[in-house]
Amino acid sequence: MIYEVSVGERRLRVDVASDGRFQVDEHIVAAEIAETARGRQWSVRIAGRSHEVTVLTHDPVRLLVDGREAEASALDERTAASARGASAARGGRHELRAPMPGLLKTVHVAEGDVIERDAPMMTLEAMKMENELLAPARGRVVRLAVSAGTKVEGGAILAVLEESE
Amino acid sequence: MRIIRACHELGIRAVAVFSDADRGALHVRLADEAYPIGPAAPRESYLAIGKLVAVARRAECDAVHPGYGFLAENADFADAVRDAGLVFVGPPGEVQRRLGEKTQARRLARDAGVPVADGTLAPLRDLDQARREAKRIGYPVMLKAAAGGGGKGMRAVGSAAELDAAWRLSSGEAAGAFGSEALFVEKLIEHARHVEMQILADAHGGAVWLGERDCSIQRRNQKLIEESPGPSVDDALRERLGDAALRIVRSAGYVNAGTVEFLVDERGSFSFLEVNTRLQVEHPLTELVTGLDIVALQLRIAAGEPLPFAQGDVRCRGAAIELRVTAEDAPRGFVPATGRIALLREPAGPGVRVDSGLFEGLAVTSDYDPLLMKVIAHGVDRNEALARARRAVRETIVAGLPTSLAFHAHVLDEPDFVAGRYDTGYVATHWPPRTPAELDESQITAAALVAVLAARRRAARRPVASPDGAWSRAGREEALR
Repeated sequence: MIYEVSVGERRLRVDVASDGRFQVDEHIVAAEIAETARGRQWSVRIAGRSHEVTVLTHDPVRLLVDGREAEASALDERTAASARGASAARGGRHELRAPMPGLLKTVHVAEGDVIERDAPMMTLEAMKMENELLAPARGRVVRLAVSAGTKVEGGAILAVLEESE
Repeated sequence: MRIIRACHELGIRAVAVFSDADRGALHVRLADEAYPIGPAAPRESYLAIGKLVAVARRAECDAVHPGYGFLAENADFADAVRDAGLVFVGPPGEVQRRLGEKTQARRLARDAGVPVADGTLAPLRDLDQARREAKRIGYPVMLKAAAGGGGKGMRAVGSAAELDAAWRLSSGEAAGAFGSEALFVEKLIEHARHVEMQILADAHGGAVWLGERDCSIQRRNQKLIEESPGPSVDDALRERLGDAALRIVRSAGYVNAGTVEFLVDERGSFSFLEVNTRLQVEHPLTELVTGLDIVALQLRIAAGEPLPFAQGDVRCRGAAIELRVTAEDAPRGFVPATGRIALLREPAGPGVRVDSGLFEGLAVTSDYDPLLMKVIAHGVDRNEALARARRAVRETIVAGLPTSLAFHAHVLDEPDFVAGRYDTGYVATHWPPRTPAELDESQITAAALVAVLAARRRAARRPVASPDGAWSRAGREEALR
């Protein structure tokens, strides 16, 4: 199967043959690979060079390569192609997400409110600091997903805003 | 953990307390006895003075060490411990009160002949007074909580236009963190270094300083890297800082270990910032450089013993650097991160000390401070300490959640830091790096192969529609992780 891979800024095509051999872009790679922690870490030897690669996080994929961190992704060709098709954004709808885990201290808006871009929508307490979350666009608050006093995880949807002129 | 280690070396039995979130924590397992004190929320456990004192009495403790978070600088806790007939390992409540209210501490320092930055010497009454005082001192100013430190409620204010919003946010934070929304302003000293002096004082009037730590590498006023000695501090400045620290210690009637914090400007003149009336997170630096065990000395001082050495006996050898590895996503502006430690390798080897409570499987939540592990490197000089720190970071693996390690790896190779040229503005001007760390061709290939292998593993683990036991296979794989 062929994968479209990114490592940092680099884009590569990796072909994994059924016998387990790799082709990276145009080159057949003779790599000796040992999985040193299941699903997490591999020791890779290429032409005598010894690399230790650890999967630090899965989503997004962040790798530790010989002590250096790098973002990476690997999609098989079919998934990559369908992802490109679906990426046309649903215009006009904005989600306000928690930038970090914390305690939602105050909600400054109500459902139905029409607010300006950059208007404070909520105050999130995290890291002993209070952070004001601002409206990503001018529009109407169509949904409030949380109320004040709630503990939220990083990335949680807090509100949905429908853009208006 | 740190306290339990000192107790065990001195032949003292250690009793730990834990919240529901910490049942499996390392300090619970290493302590001789451990008692639950309630739910994860600190207010109902680690900040519940009544519960803590009750546990100490029930377990027939002789003394209580408050650690360096939560109630470590709470005078009421020190009083409650004393009133229960127990010894508090730290300065008495009245001394903490004298220094804990920051404007009062500023007055005390000024009266002791120690320079303080221009600013208010009493808490501000209202926003109007803040406006007048800030104008008199001249922007930029720092708005700070009068009741506490640690960066909480603290904000730099560049101009009068920013003051209203800063006032609102800071008083809210101060009220939440310290139960008092009182604020004060002082002149913001630009390009300053945060330099602090470790002191020890016994109950018999003996007091010594143990050298300084430069803690200028901070973000959001929270320290990330500290070192001792400070690269900008020469012998003459060190003497003057030590002398100033001891004046404050004597005039406050201080007992036990403490830290006097200063700001040092580009010309080497300094002003008093505050006193931390507790053990500091970065105390290992001083331990490595002086060869002393500060926690053991805290326990001996609390037991009424005089300091076993004089100022002239204190010798600083070599240099040490501490890295605070935190559960924060450094490449994404240090946003707090949570997750489960999936794979862990702590560094070791010559000149490397690790103070850590991590283990594989530990769930890192947003309940408490994001500090995961401290890596402290010591060498005969700053170059060797730096080399060991770099080597230690390269060995370290904390997988399962984003951490600050990429920041540490970058800074240890960054020319300004390597040259010792930095101040409290360093992180803002040097992170994220303009050019990310580069991998060579062989490393990129290895990374690409692993990205594919990891994706295939994940895809294989995902339960598929076939009813032939895919779920149970996935379950088994989960269990094997």
